[in-house]
Amino acid sequence: MVKNTTLTAAIVFLASVCTAQSGWAAEKAADKPAQKPVQKAQPSGNATMAAAKAFEKVSKELYPKAKKEGALIIYSVWDIEHIRAISDAFSKRYPGIKTSYWQGRNPEIVTRVLTEFQGGQPSVDTILSDNAPSVLRAAGAMASYETVQKDVLVLHDPTLPTVSLQVQALTYNTKKLKPADLPKSWEDVANPKYKGLVALDDPMRAGPLSSMLAGLWTQWNDQTRFNKFIKGLKALNVPVHKSTSAMFRLVVAGEYEICMPALLHDVIHDKEKGTPIDYVKSVPPIVFPRQAGIYAKAPHPSAAKLFAEWLISEEGQKTIDGIGRESSRNDFKSKTSIEMAFPKGTKAIPVTDKLYLEDPKKWLDRNVKPIWEG
Amino acid sequence: MTISWNSFKIAYRQGTFVPIFASLIAGGAIITPIIIVLLRSVTTGKLGVAMGFSAENYLRVFADREIWSLLNNSLLYAAGSAALGTGVGAMLAWIVARTNTPGKALVELMPLYPILMPPIMKNIAWILLLAPKSGILNNMIEQITGTNPLFFNAFSMAGMIWTFGLACVPLGYLFLLPVFLSFDPSLEESAYIAGSKPVHTMLHITFPLAIPAFLSAFVLNFLRALRSFETPVLQGTPGGINVFVARVYDSMALEFNTGLATSYSMVLVVLSVITLMFYVRATRFSERYATITGKGYRVKVIDIGPWKYVTFLAVFLYFLVGIAIPFIVLIVVSMIPYFDYETFMQFPSNAALTNYYTVMKHPSFVNGLYNSLTLSITIALVTVLSGIIMAFTIYRTRAYGTKIFEFIGTLPLAFPPLVLSVGLVIIFLGTPLYNSLWALGLGLFVAYFPYAFRNASGSIVNIHKELDEAAWVHGARWRHVFFKITLPILKPSVGGALFYIFIEAIRNVDVAILLASPGKEYGPVTLFEYFRVGQWAEAAAGGVIYLIILIIAVSIAKFAFNLKFSL
Repeated sequence: MVKNTTLTAAIVFLASVCTAQSGWAAEKAADKPAQKPVQKAQPSGNATMAAAKAFEKVSKELYPKAKKEGALIIYSVWDIEHIRAISDAFSKRYPGIKTSYWQGRNPEIVTRVLTEFQGGQPSVDTILSDNAPSVLRAAGAMASYETVQKDVLVLHDPTLPTVSLQVQALTYNTKKLKPADLPKSWEDVANPKYKGLVALDDPMRAGPLSSMLAGLWTQWNDQTRFNKFIKGLKALNVPVHKSTSAMFRLVVAGEYEICMPALLHDVIHDKEKGTPIDYVKSVPPIVFPRQAGIYAKAPHPSAAKLFAEWLISEEGQKTIDGIGRESSRNDFKSKTSIEMAFPKGTKAIPVTDKLYLEDPKKWLDRNVKPIWEG
Repeated sequence: MTISWNSFKIAYRQGTFVPIFASLIAGGAIITPIIIVLLRSVTTGKLGVAMGFSAENYLRVFADREIWSLLNNSLLYAAGSAALGTGVGAMLAWIVARTNTPGKALVELMPLYPILMPPIMKNIAWILLLAPKSGILNNMIEQITGTNPLFFNAFSMAGMIWTFGLACVPLGYLFLLPVFLSFDPSLEESAYIAGSKPVHTMLHITFPLAIPAFLSAFVLNFLRALRSFETPVLQGTPGGINVFVARVYDSMALEFNTGLATSYSMVLVVLSVITLMFYVRATRFSERYATITGKGYRVKVIDIGPWKYVTFLAVFLYFLVGIAIPFIVLIVVSMIPYFDYETFMQFPSNAALTNYYTVMKHPSFVNGLYNSLTLSITIALVTVLSGIIMAFTIYRTRAYGTKIFEFIGTLPLAFPPLVLSVGLVIIFLGTPLYNSLWALGLGLFVAYFPYAFRNASGSIVNIHKELDEAAWVHGARWRHVFFKITLPILKPSVGGALFYIFIEAIRNVDVAILLASPGKEYGPVTLFEYFRVGQWAEAAAGGVIYLIILIIAVSIAKFAFNLKFSL
């Protein structure tokens, strides 16, 4: 009897938890139209000045409200030291706004934010990441916000402010590969002569290689060429890696000759340390937006908007450049900007495929899986 | 009916409702997040999308063509690692507890130090040592012989089993040591009198008596390996070896679908249940293995003659591969500009302390370390006590249905930590506990409870029931039996479990990642972030600092305060 009562109590408790669950589940996702990033042309000097003026104006409007809110909570995939440097600079520029942060990988950020969103938790203001904001937007967990400085951005998304870029470069170990033997293009990596030399990111996970494939898919608009490339990569018969950073370290160590692909800021950071690593400058980089998305239930929305605008402003971009990350502006020159890191006239390949940005799994199942596993 | 009523009366008289109630609370805390994630597995759609009940996720799991090959790899990897880790751990425990191996103080400590090194640091170190082309050992062979036979391969099943197996040794050691230390020597003495040699006695008397504890440690290590992620990702994937748990993580990382991830986890749950059933069946006549009886016991150290130098060498060899060699590799890597064989061999001419300076400047280092220290100590105490109470409830109260705790207490092991954390996040959402250290503490409790519980149950079955039966007969209540008989006898294993859970908790990343919150940093999460972003040199520096702190703490505890971790 006693046992039965305890059991009943446990069932009632669990049932109440389940009911709460379905309550959250029933909450309808906000219907925000998904937008795909647009690659912008090089801005004129006027655009730079206009962006500066627009930033000053919006900053004056938002700061009093943000100060009243008093805080800003950031979830980010970036290194803690980077988040700390950025949030400290922001707090110094805008006194009275206390910043705090939580750092995790993209899957952890998405899982946490969506769980909080379903639970109606006003837990975070800004999601600072590459993959996460667009996935969260597709689930209705992002508020739409268009930056007033859009005219100076390399990649502009009308609902998610692009504050930095993930730039992928074709990277190699300088001790292991002579300049004459370097691949001439991304496609050339699939050449059988590189069999056994390539560290290949897993094309079936939402990582850099799949972003690259999505970029090339749009750029080429040629199914035969795309199929041949994937089949060529498969024919290299090299194991795939699920950790880009570990893969990069193995290329540095000399386990592999070519890194397919590496992130430009990592390559430049390592080059400065004297690591035997370099990238093929004649191969156009793949660019993917890093965004400061605003959470749909943000407790401090004005602070989040101000943060996004400040990050895109010249001052914010200097801070981002200071931590070694790539600028999102066309008019900002640094060691990691495409204009400086690649030959003049290099046209970057943007990742703009809407389906890939919002549901990478579906895109991969549709466009890569049949060829890769076929 | 009469039997039930009698049981009820006995339970009331003996006061055994207290441990049963305590076990129910602990069991409830464990089972609630698990039920929540199980419910997720029968919902359609992804997080953020309206959900309905459906078997879609399970249909996808069963339709997965690769599932068998993945399971095959997982089972081979888990069984190999558990066998290596538990086997070596048992051997070390026997050497330390029962032999006259010289350098007693050193021999006692050497098997303990490797536990202080987080598994991922071992992964990195062994990759640098065993990688086919860039690995230190293969390059050394090439330098000596002139050819590189690619003798070692970190990216192989053997490489994976080696690295994770070594990480499993401390658990085997800590589980077996108390058992070997608390043997009823009469059985061994009888064997000696009958003319049996030490090795023969060890194989036919000593080791069979340690079977329950050995199986406990083996089951735990097997389940740990089954759900481990770092070794398969860092060493398996580059070698083309994929394991089952990768599917669970892909469901989270690629589809953000906790329901599907949980459905895949259910396969692990089924495997865990089978493993557990095997364990329960193997130990069902637990009295057979009882090594502590009411007749009194004392530990007998066996003189193994000149073999004592071999056993010393064996312990020292484990110390070398378990911590010394990987630790030295990490120290060098933390001080050189970057790792490749050429640069590695130039050490110390190219040494610098830049990475240590960077780590010490880390924004969350001090705060995170403080939080992880206080929380780990608390969690170790609470978890170990709860584990013993639950084991006591199962094996000593004789109450109907308490065997269910055997299952509940081990269940968290079947779930990948990230999946389990989602259940905990859902529980705390909307409560004041969300984003607090309490939530993180409960997460760590759920994650480490199986270790405390299995450790306690493995040890309790070694205590013959006649001890507490004597107390019950004399009218003792549960608190007398528990605090005056069970707990004092379990003291050796309590020390080991406290030490193990403290060390595991203080370096936990998997559970803490979703439960740590803005402003509530957890040391390991922030520190080992370096690994994730590929800054291995900084990670090595952070790891070295962390290890030095822990080694100093353990050494002070051992020598200054004469604290015995499992002795």
